[in-house]
Amino acid sequence: MRPGRAFRPWEGSPRLLEVARNERRELWTEAVGDPPPVYGERWTNVGDRRYRLFEPGRSKLAAAVVRGWAGDLPAPGERWLYLGAATGTTASHVADLVGPDGRVYAVERSVRPFARLLALSERWPNLRPILGDARDPLAYSALVPPVDGVYADVAQADQLDIVVKNAELLLTGDGARLLIALKTASMGRHRSATGHRESAEEDLAETAALVPSVPLEPFHKGHFMVGGRWGRSARLPVRESVRPTMPRGRRPGRRAR
Amino acid sequence: MGPTLVVGSGPALFVIGPDTARAVGPFPLDPDLRRAATRFEELGPADVPARLRVALESVPQGSRLLASPPRLARTIAESSRRPVDTPTLEELRRARASIPLTDPVVERRFFLELGHLRLERALRAPEEVLITLAREEERVERAVGREARAAESFVAVPDSPLDRHLVSWGRARGALGDLEDALRHTLEEEAQRLVPNLSAVVGPRTAARLVAVAGGIGALARMPSARIQLLGSRRRPSPDRGPRFGILYRADRLADVPIGRRGAYARSLAALAAIAVRADASTHRDISAALVARRDRRVETLRRSRR
Repeated sequence: MRPGRAFRPWEGSPRLLEVARNERRELWTEAVGDPPPVYGERWTNVGDRRYRLFEPGRSKLAAAVVRGWAGDLPAPGERWLYLGAATGTTASHVADLVGPDGRVYAVERSVRPFARLLALSERWPNLRPILGDARDPLAYSALVPPVDGVYADVAQADQLDIVVKNAELLLTGDGARLLIALKTASMGRHRSATGHRESAEEDLAETAALVPSVPLEPFHKGHFMVGGRWGRSARLPVRESVRPTMPRGRRPGRRAR
Repeated sequence: MGPTLVVGSGPALFVIGPDTARAVGPFPLDPDLRRAATRFEELGPADVPARLRVALESVPQGSRLLASPPRLARTIAESSRRPVDTPTLEELRRARASIPLTDPVVERRFFLELGHLRLERALRAPEEVLITLAREEERVERAVGREARAAESFVAVPDSPLDRHLVSWGRARGALGDLEDALRHTLEEEAQRLVPNLSAVVGPRTAARLVAVAGGIGALARMPSARIQLLGSRRRPSPDRGPRFGILYRADRLADVPIGRRGAYARSLAALAAIAVRADASTHRDISAALVARRDRRVETLRRSRR
């Protein structure tokens, strides 16, 4: 480890680490699996612990943290259901966050991305891949025990319905966590991005207590992180203040077209 | 007396009720986890564990027997020869909460076995084979082109080690070419078998690539022809001058059309391709002769027309 770098655990999710380095702040997650890198991300060792760089341009969850997400993050020992895991870029980081005693049940419908997710699961001990359609949670309800949280990144017009269907069947109950990476571009052109976010919040507020959603710009265009805790009157986490941790002086994201 | 509920949990089944809220089990589907995964997928009456069948016999005839997921309910109904309902959301949630967690090592191995099983089954479908072939053919074609270009600009000094390298390299290129031919042959055969009409209209290789990019025959059949025309194009559509071809640029007979009219040909061809793939996807009738005739007539018209 180079001098001048201090890894500071994130409040509420100690396997997420923040590094202040000059003007920049970086996020890292403590790896549960072994190298090589999952998708070409940077690794580093601190003592006998291994960390993987968690970049906001690659992962909507990291972008949400950077943009000041005040809600819960996956924490050690928890079981999470991950809808729309694709090849497992973010899913591997969620698995890092829940640690070796937690579980991530990752649902993916497309065959070829699933092949890579499966290969990743062979070396990521707490990742449980499921080839299935998130629209039909009953079909995999026999595989997923009650979970502490649902993370959804499904980019479908009916993404909220999908999440709610999964949540009411598979969550442990009131107070369980909900994290939705809302892609407004998939929800139709009849509303603006903010309009979609507002209507999504309104719909969700009937079944969950929400923390303020955050836009994922400039990392992911037209995306918002929406979520909170399941149950209308669930108690929300209290955060003293949310530090906006926008990295400075750096163009975010890849594939900026 | 409450209902009796049978619920699956990974490689095992559990019974909850009628009198207790505690789950009774596990009733493993199979001691071997690979076979358990197969049973989980197929779940016929023969896959219901014998011990569970015996346990269910003691459930009185008049009481409610429930099972979830729905497929398990059908299977139990068949094997116990009595009506089995699916539980309400609330009943299922309560039951699930009482089931002990599966041992992590067993759970992990079961998931991996099941994942491999499902992946293999999904990829075995004929259209997935066609998609894989189309992707492979494209990759090998690129490799052949790259090696050929590299060979053009490679100068070997006679009687040097470079000379020897050139000989073995040439052999490797030949082998790569043979691979490409064999792959192309297989691909064309598969395309003509699976999408005969589309293959006749645009050529089997282009047909296979269209299916691959669309993600399946059904997906391609649901596309409007304007989308098929631009499928695989990299430029963005814009109001003044967008792309006119995608994969269709490689379609049969495009070369016979004068350059200025190729966009018009691509448009007509996409319309015919849309009709062809719909026939391939739904009616399975051979309408290729009529479509090819229309295509060829269009080529002739475009050849005569001035621009």
